[in-house]
Amino acid sequence: MTVDGWFYVGLVVGLASTIICVVAAVTRKKPNDITLVSLAGVELFILVYAGASLVRLATGEHLAGAGWEFWGYMFTAAALPVAGFYWAMMERTFWSNYVMGAVGVTVVVMMARMAQIWYGLSPAVQHLQPGIGQ
Amino acid sequence: MKNKLSNTGGTPDAPAPGRTTGAGRLLITVYGIFAISASARAGFQIATAFKDAPLAYLLSAFAAAVYIVATVSLARRGHKWAVAATVSICIELAGVLVVGLLSVFDARAFPHATVWSMFGQGYGYVPLVLPLVGLWWLYRHRDRAAAPK
Repeated sequence: MTVDGWFYVGLVVGLASTIICVVAAVTRKKPNDITLVSLAGVELFILVYAGASLVRLATGEHLAGAGWEFWGYMFTAAALPVAGFYWAMMERTFWSNYVMGAVGVTVVVMMARMAQIWYGLSPAVQHLQPGIGQ
Repeated sequence: MKNKLSNTGGTPDAPAPGRTTGAGRLLITVYGIFAISASARAGFQIATAFKDAPLAYLLSAFAAAVYIVATVSLARRGHKWAVAATVSICIELAGVLVVGLLSVFDARAFPHATVWSMFGQGYGYVPLVLPLVGLWWLYRHRDRAAAPK
């Protein structure tokens, strides 16, 4: 897998959100502006990444893997912060910060898969994942 | 800095912690993430490369179904749903142990990855730990779950 700037930015935004939410949860804080904004930051990043990916594909770049798999990941990654927000807000205890913290790290994993689909898997790891993302 | 969203939840008479609240919400969240990712992966495998390994990919689909049932039944209140969650999580535990052992001792039988291969190594061993945490959680809340709602 080739890592690019998008992945690194996603890594920073996602992990920052997870760390902020987990720290808030450990200190028994209820979801507040800071944790909610960190979640919104993850959502904003995914939307920008989706828009930029459309532009890149429209200007001649090609996906190494299947397009619908890539956009399936994109759609799910965009839905996760929203789902996490609703699921957390139904119960406003410090546990909700753990729930929101799970979103950022999950989005990072999905960013890694999207990078694999975009650039293709290196032969070294291809045998680990037969049947997905050729 | 006060916040509208976080302000209304701080009532002293918050509901007593139950199976579907507090840490249970986090457990349901993790199960939900696995339900989504296992379903998506199984769907993709079956749609694109089913002929390569029908057994492994049907197993992926079965694992996805187990995660979906576990997520839904964990999130629902009531004794029947607690039983459903216990059964589905026991199936999950058996699945990850059997498939994990088979993939270690008879790697040729499982050349194609599933969620449960190598005890969930590809998913940070979360598939192995998750059912244990789930069963412990259900055990901790057994009386509350059995009480009439």
